Amino acid sequence: MARILIPTPLRQFADKHDTVELPGATVGEVLTALTTRFPDLKKHLYNDEGKLRSFVNVYLNDEDIRYMKKDATPVNDPDTLSIVPSIAGGLDEAVLSKDEILRYSRHLIMPEVGMEGQLKLKSAKVLLVGTGGLGAPLGMYLAAAGIGKIGLVDFDVVDFSNLQRQVIHGTKDVGKPKIQSAVETMSDINPHIELVKHETALSSENAFEIFADYDIVVDGTDNFPTRYLVNDACVLLKKPNVYGSIFRFEGQATVFAYPGGPCYRCLYPEPPPPGLVPSCAEGGVLGILPGVIGLIQATETVKLILGIGDSLVGRLLLYDALGMKFRELKLRKNPECPVCGDNPTVTKLIDYVEFCGVPHQEAPPEPVAMTGDIEPTEVKAKLDRGDKFTLIDVREPHEFQICRIPGSTLIPLGEVPKRVGEINAESEIVVHCKSGARSAKAVDFLRQQGYKKVRNMKGGILAWSDKVDPTVPKY
Amino acid sequence: MIEIERGPWREMVNHAQAIYPNECCGAMIGKIDGDAKTVSHAIALDNVSVGSQAARYELSPKDLLRAEREARERKLDLIGIYHSHPDCGAYFSETDLKNSCPWYSFVVLSVQKGRFDHANSWLPNAEQTQAEKEELIWPES
Repeated sequence: MARILIPTPLRQFADKHDTVELPGATVGEVLTALTTRFPDLKKHLYNDEGKLRSFVNVYLNDEDIRYMKKDATPVNDPDTLSIVPSIAGGLDEAVLSKDEILRYSRHLIMPEVGMEGQLKLKSAKVLLVGTGGLGAPLGMYLAAAGIGKIGLVDFDVVDFSNLQRQVIHGTKDVGKPKIQSAVETMSDINPHIELVKHETALSSENAFEIFADYDIVVDGTDNFPTRYLVNDACVLLKKPNVYGSIFRFEGQATVFAYPGGPCYRCLYPEPPPPGLVPSCAEGGVLGILPGVIGLIQATETVKLILGIGDSLVGRLLLYDALGMKFRELKLRKNPECPVCGDNPTVTKLIDYVEFCGVPHQEAPPEPVAMTGDIEPTEVKAKLDRGDKFTLIDVREPHEFQICRIPGSTLIPLGEVPKRVGEINAESEIVVHCKSGARSAKAVDFLRQQGYKKVRNMKGGILAWSDKVDPTVPKY
Repeated sequence: MIEIERGPWREMVNHAQAIYPNECCGAMIGKIDGDAKTVSHAIALDNVSVGSQAARYELSPKDLLRAEREARERKLDLIGIYHSHPDCGAYFSETDLKNSCPWYSFVVLSVQKGRFDHANSWLPNAEQTQAEKEELIWPES
C-alpha cells in the first residue's frame, strides 16, 4: 500500500485526484495498480514499449528508485511515491571542423554519441588532479576523446621510478615537470583541445579558484589530504568527483558528489590513522593497475558528459587484478555526512594535512635521540676500519633483493619484536631501511627494550647510494 | 495563455540577470483555470548541469519535487519551468525540446549583455518533437 502524488497536469487523466492510495508491495506493483485504475495515464507515463518515458522519474519518499531497487523497491504503508519529470535544456552551440569530424568519426557514427554527444564533449571542461599513475591514461584518453578543455594539476617532476606505470611520460622526460611532459603528449594526441597547466600543489587556498573553471573534477591523487580536499571542494561547488584509487594489485572507482549521490565522506567520514594505510611508494603497485582504474574513471567522465549509460554514482567498483575480478558495493548518501548531509558541519575548506594527522614537515617524527643518528659516511668508515658493530636492515625481503649494504642482517620491521633475541644487547647497533622512517621506529622499539647503543642510519639506503656508493640502485 | 504576476516576474528577471552569463532555471507556481494560467510564485532552483552552464541547464528532480510539494502546501499548482538564454534569443532550442516534458509551460528569458531583453513561453508536444508558442503576459517594467 502506498500513496501516489499526481502532478497537476496529469490529474485530468486521474479523475482529478491529486493523491491516490493504491495497493502493492513494490514500486512496480503500485505503478501497475495506478495505470490499471486510470488507463489514460499510461500513455503519459510509459512509451510504446511499456517502459517509463525517458523524462519520468519515480521517487519513493525522498529517494530516486533508480538508486534503490528500481521497480522491485519495496513499499510500506506510510510511503509516498512521487512522479517527477527530468528537465534540462540549453543553447545549440559549437560546431566541429572537417578535421574534427574525421578524427571523431568512430564516435559520430554511434547514435549514443553522434554529433550532439561529440559537441557535448567539445564544450566540456574537465580538471585532472594529478598526472601520475591514474592521470596518465586519463589524460591521454580524455584528450583523444575530444574533451574541449582539460586542466592539469601537478607540481612533481618525472622520475625513473614513475615510468613503470605513468605512460604519459617517457624516458626522455625524466627530470622534466610532469605537467609539461603530460601536455606535450596530450597535445600530440589531439591538437584540437585546450590544455591548461596548473603547476602547483592543490590546497584549501587555491582549490575553489582552480575548480571554478571546470564542470567535472577527476581525482588521480595518491594521498588522503588531497583526496578529502578534492571531495569537499567538489561537494561545496556541486561538481562531480570521478574517483579512483590503487594499491598493489587492487583498485577502486566511483563517482562522488554527483547531485543526490554520496560523497567520499559518506563512505569514509574520517581518514585512517597516519601510517596505517601505506602509499604506493611504500607498498608498491602493479604498473598496469592504474591503467585499468584510470580508464574506468575516463569512461565515467565521458558518460557523465554524454549523459548516457548507468554511472557509478552510488556504486563503488572494486577491481582485483590477481583474482581478475570486479565486484561492486552499493554506496548510499549518508544523511549525517559532515559535508553533504542534511546538517553539514564542514561548510568551507579546512586544513586537510592537519585533518589527516600528517605531520606538516616532510621528515618523519624524530625519535628521542640518545646517541643521535649516524651518517651513512660514518657507517662506511666504521665498516672500513673493521669496527665491531651489528648493521640491521629492517626493510622487507623483496627490497633486500633489490640492493643491500654488505654485512647487513635482514630483520623486517614487523619481525623485530619476535626476533629481538637475535640482537646482542651488548653490541653497538646501527639500523637502516630505505629512507630512515622504518628504522627510526625500530630504534625506538629497541631503546624501549633496553638497548643502549642503537643508532639510526640517516636517510637509509637512498642516502647510502647518494653519499657512499652510487652503484647501489635507488628504487 | 500564461500570465506572470509582478512579484514572481521580478524574481525571475533578477535571477536570470544575477546568474548571467550562465543559464538560470526555476519553477513557476500558481492557478490554472482552463487554458488560463496565472503564475503567483516563482521558485529559483539550482542549475545542476555538469556541462557548461553558459549554455546548459538541468533541474534536479529533487528540487522539482520540493517545488511540487510547496505548490501543494499553498493549494496551488506547479504550472511551468523557466530558464534563461544568455546573449541569445528566447527560442526553444533542440536541446530544450529534447530534454523537456509535455506537462508544463516552458518560459525562456533572453538576457542580453546581462540585462533582460524579452521572453517567450513554449508548450512541447508529447513526443518532444515540436513546441508550440504560448501567449505570455508579463507586467511591463
